[in-house]
Amino acid sequence: MAGMKTATGDYIDSSWELRVFVGEEDPEAQSVTLRVTGESHIGGVLLKIVEEINRKQDWSDHAIWWEQKRQWLLQTHWTLDKYGILADARLFFGPQHRPVTLRLPNRRALRLRASFSKPLFKAVADVCRLLSIRHPEELSLLRDPEKKEKKKKEKEPEEEVFDLTKVVLAGGVAPVLFRGMPAHFSDSAHTEACFHMLSRPQPPPDPGLLQRLPRPGSLADKTQLHSRWLDSSRCLMQQGIKAGDTLWLRFKYYSFFDLDPKADQVRLMQLYEQARWDLLLEEIDCTEAEMMMFAALQYHINKLSQSGEAGEVASTDPGLDDLDAALNNLEVKLEGSAPTDVLDSLTTIPELKDHLRIFRPRKLTLKGYRQHWVVFKETTLSYYKSQDEAPGDPIQQLNLKGCEVAPDVNVSSQKFCIKLLVPSPEGMSEIYLRCQDEQQYAQWMAGCRLASKGRTMADSSYASEVQAILAFLSLQQAGGGGSGNHTQGPEASAEGLNPYGLVAPRFQRKFKAKQLTPRILEAHQNVAQLSLTEALLRFIQAWQSLPDFGISYFMVRFKGSKKDEILGIANNRLIRIDLAVGDVVKTWRFSNMRQWNVNWDIRQVAIEFDEHINVAFSCVSASCRIVHEYIGGYIFLSTRERAHGEEQNEDLFLQLTGGHEAF
Amino acid sequence: MSESNDDIDQMFSTLLGEMDLLTQSLGVDTLPPPDPKPPGAEFNYSVGFKDLNESLNALEDQDLDALMADLVADISEAEQRTIQAQKEFSQNQNHSASLEDSNCRGAASVGFGADVTAVSISQYEDELPPPPADPLLDLPPPPPPPKPLSKEEEEAQAKADKIKLALEKLKEAKVKKLVVKVHMNDNSTKSLMVDERQLARDVLDNLFEKTHCDCNVDWCLYEIYPELQIERFFEDHENVVEVLSDWTRDTENKVLFLEKEEKYAVFKNPQNFYLDNKGMKEGKKTTEKMNAKTKESLLEESFCGTSIIVPELEGALYLKEDGKKTWKRRYFLLRASGIYYVPKGKTKTSRDLACFIQFENVNIYYGVQCKMKYKAPTDHCFVLKHPQIQKESQYIKYLCCDDARTLNQWVMGIRIAKYGKTLYDNYQRAVARAGLASRWTNLGTVNTATPAQPSTGLKASNTQSNGQIPQAVPRVSTVLQEAQRQAETSKEKPAHGPPDPGAPRTQPLPKASPPPPPARRSSEPRGPATPVPPPPPPKAAPSPGDLLPPPPLEDLPPPPPPPPPEDEVEEDEALPPPPPEFADPPPDFVPPPPLPPFAAPRAPPAAAKRSPAPARRSECPGPAAAEQDFMSDLMKALQKKRGHLS
Repeated sequence: MAGMKTATGDYIDSSWELRVFVGEEDPEAQSVTLRVTGESHIGGVLLKIVEEINRKQDWSDHAIWWEQKRQWLLQTHWTLDKYGILADARLFFGPQHRPVTLRLPNRRALRLRASFSKPLFKAVADVCRLLSIRHPEELSLLRDPEKKEKKKKEKEPEEEVFDLTKVVLAGGVAPVLFRGMPAHFSDSAHTEACFHMLSRPQPPPDPGLLQRLPRPGSLADKTQLHSRWLDSSRCLMQQGIKAGDTLWLRFKYYSFFDLDPKADQVRLMQLYEQARWDLLLEEIDCTEAEMMMFAALQYHINKLSQSGEAGEVASTDPGLDDLDAALNNLEVKLEGSAPTDVLDSLTTIPELKDHLRIFRPRKLTLKGYRQHWVVFKETTLSYYKSQDEAPGDPIQQLNLKGCEVAPDVNVSSQKFCIKLLVPSPEGMSEIYLRCQDEQQYAQWMAGCRLASKGRTMADSSYASEVQAILAFLSLQQAGGGGSGNHTQGPEASAEGLNPYGLVAPRFQRKFKAKQLTPRILEAHQNVAQLSLTEALLRFIQAWQSLPDFGISYFMVRFKGSKKDEILGIANNRLIRIDLAVGDVVKTWRFSNMRQWNVNWDIRQVAIEFDEHINVAFSCVSASCRIVHEYIGGYIFLSTRERAHGEEQNEDLFLQLTGGHEAF
Repeated sequence: MSESNDDIDQMFSTLLGEMDLLTQSLGVDTLPPPDPKPPGAEFNYSVGFKDLNESLNALEDQDLDALMADLVADISEAEQRTIQAQKEFSQNQNHSASLEDSNCRGAASVGFGADVTAVSISQYEDELPPPPADPLLDLPPPPPPPKPLSKEEEEAQAKADKIKLALEKLKEAKVKKLVVKVHMNDNSTKSLMVDERQLARDVLDNLFEKTHCDCNVDWCLYEIYPELQIERFFEDHENVVEVLSDWTRDTENKVLFLEKEEKYAVFKNPQNFYLDNKGMKEGKKTTEKMNAKTKESLLEESFCGTSIIVPELEGALYLKEDGKKTWKRRYFLLRASGIYYVPKGKTKTSRDLACFIQFENVNIYYGVQCKMKYKAPTDHCFVLKHPQIQKESQYIKYLCCDDARTLNQWVMGIRIAKYGKTLYDNYQRAVARAGLASRWTNLGTVNTATPAQPSTGLKASNTQSNGQIPQAVPRVSTVLQEAQRQAETSKEKPAHGPPDPGAPRTQPLPKASPPPPPARRSSEPRGPATPVPPPPPPKAAPSPGDLLPPPPLEDLPPPPPPPPPEDEVEEDEALPPPPPEFADPPPDFVPPPPLPPFAAPRAPPAAAKRSPAPARRSECPGPAAAEQDFMSDLMKALQKKRGHLS
């Protein structure tokens, strides 16, 4: 072994002293000095270090990091010579897994141990396995943006940081479900809370916070985010990440493979959260109508999760026997049946009868609301001059099936109107019903909504619909009060919801809360029947349907062009966008692509398409490595197949996205 | 146990009461004369039709004939089921009940629109299925089955079964049917019965069998509104009865059966919709041709993801101003959530767009000759309206495109946005259907293996690990591919192989071979074997001697085959030989009760055997009796009508 010496104390072999610091890249760290030769294997060196330290501890995760070369010495059978290590090498003996704080798509912070030695692609896969997110290849990590203003410290201390650093996953074992969550989450109350944080929707953010958070004002701003992606083929250590640093975990590639609500509880939720924040922070633009729909879905999702429907797994009870099913069928049939159906006489269909004020807008009339006796039965609304005439012919009878129902409500001025647009062969007839109070309004409104879908008030959803409307009204009351309700913490109840928390800040400027609520309410009626999972899926789908969905922007300079332009990378195409106007100049599809190359020296990406179309550009806003990895990543994702299940071909990915180090 | 048992008892007797009600209501079908205003009538099909005779009188002869044919088919179907049921319930039966039951039958009323004939046969259908089960159900207080009381569960089970049965019946009872007159492209018409569960796809399949056309994917049901001068395809997943019930009684609307290549154009040439925008206008014809594989991946990308991709579509269109004949040019954009326009002085960024219309409550139609009618700038118009609106109204939106290509892009784009993946599913079903048909035609001659996939250019890029693109693997099943190819080839080239391309009719759908009666016949041989004693014949059974030999008319008393009117051509085919329609109802709208295997629609005709009709009649008068009454009513009407004509 190394370190043979004569009686005089001279070393007679070619051994030399190697100093190894114990700990994580800390100059003050304790160090040990070993006698080694160039022939020593890394494994032997590790052994010696441990002996030298002489402390009882699990060292299995420890490895040597070579600071100058920014490299882990992981090949234990390699010799020091083979690595080229000389006495002046600064080596650190430290753990490969270190705690980092992850900022999840839902913007919550989670501490966990991530691998600092594996390529990021693999490290992310491990993290995702811990969080039970399938298809980790779609996610990656970003550097935390540098904080410019550190004066405002009000928000920081409040935040709860979830901690999963203690949880260690046995490798290679398929996650087992226990009590509706992966088994490793069910260890303690804390980890359970962690899982709930991951798998349940977060309450809407405080509108004030939304205002303060940075939002991209232009396309150029949108390129900023993408300059922060970490390199998938190198490890965290190599990229200068230190233990305890904060990183963002995000879906990077907008190509979500095989979304399965059953298996993807966390993935679906985080996807929803990312989509929601994209919309709230205007990373992606949408129209006003779309925003209202998104807001309604958020409201709905939030409400469902609060009413405890999050664990809806239990609702699919297989114990429902045939008879029950048959009876259920009958029930459904009864509810959904057309009027005058004989069957309906079996169940008493609830009716609503009351004095309401009715207004029918017509040309050249100035008549306002008039009091009528209104009877609402099944899906038909009839009104009479007075209650006495009720047995006779109504003034008008309207079948509400297929009609449009819109609220016209102002709680503070006690205006509760229902606007109906009833289709008939001649066109649409417009009619307003004015109710006296919330209660009456909620009942009639719920009836109208069900009727417009062809259902009667006997429908099982009637009661919940009434409740939903009442809840929404009270929301308006709360939201209408003060524009910014700062007193409410993030745990505010549904009743206290501020509609501003559901929409992008530009709508805060555009609408008053009391204007916004009815709009959201109106959109809500289209989604009120969805279950939590359906609502999440609907939200994600609507997000995916936005024209700008899934485009990652980079500022580039095309070869031969004198000005900067934007390159958009989506899952199926590259888009050249005019920086000033935002117009699409040209689209190239990956399916026509023959090859692409990166010239690392001049930081230029060159792409060849079919028909000898060649495109070359240099990257301005981000390193060309990121652009290269994006393109390669999408090509990789397009090769995925259902048959392969969850295992991914890491080599192929690294081959497609890595490169410059290898050559 | 007592509680739950009581509950079930309770439920059961309620159901029984319900059944009684149902049966009674049969006699009461002479409801108050229809509300002159149609909207009411649209929804409750038992109201709104004048009495039986009047409506029958108004029917065209051939309609009646076709109707008869359908009804007969139904009877036979019911008979099959009866036999089946009889086997199952071979316990002792109480005939009085079935008699009582049959008393009330036959009061089904027939209604009609100009072209849609509505038959409210709800009850009629009801009686068909399992009458032998009736006795059990109709016994007022259901005596607990005479079983040892030891097994209460068993008892409960028995009750549960009965309830289930009753529920099935109830379900059946609610089936609404319409007789629809479909205009063929040769100006002839066909009447067929459509029940409320049938989708446009089912009706198309039905028509394929009747017309022996080539079944390609372009065939569609097409509704035209002569009054509004608009028209559109039925989407294959649409419920036909639902659509038709929006029509008014006096409507001039028609249903056509024709080929429209626009129907699935996007799936044949997706590049025309997905790739041709932005920058490259018409000049570039290179996009026109695209190899099959690229098309496929384009389709997969657009329709098979977690959400579908709506083609990017934007441009200036003319919008007809409400209630006026003036048109305003505006810049419109299509998004998945609706059509938007750029308000004056704004840019076309998402946040500035104003919503023009969303698709939940509107259907898309082509406008016809809007130039003339509304002074439109061009004739390439599309129209968005609520399906219930039937008259001119400010709520109908008219938009006008510069050329036909743009029009097609918009209409297809809107359909994609509105129906999403369903459209693709429909297409795949249609392709499968067409593939099936063409396979029959070619009897395997074309069934060569799929050709080697054309290699894409991608392969050419090589080795440079940096830039190599792995070959994407196609996921669409080869069957589909092949079917699609066949569908396409069969369209492009005239059909090759034995069948004469000129006469689509000659395409040998296996069961269309003329005289041998179709599948239903197969039930007959089994008839006599039924172990159950036949219930006594009902009141008005015509004596067997009255029956005419030709099978479809066998239930009718005297009248000779009707004098062939103008459109005799298709009469030929629809009348005397037991038309193929006999066989077709089962596949799609046969409700829950399990069909005996021999009722399978595709049973080879060879297996069928003819047995004398009268004999059969007497076997199962139960179910048929109902028909009988209805039939004789029909018949009377038919006679009356004829008398009128002559």
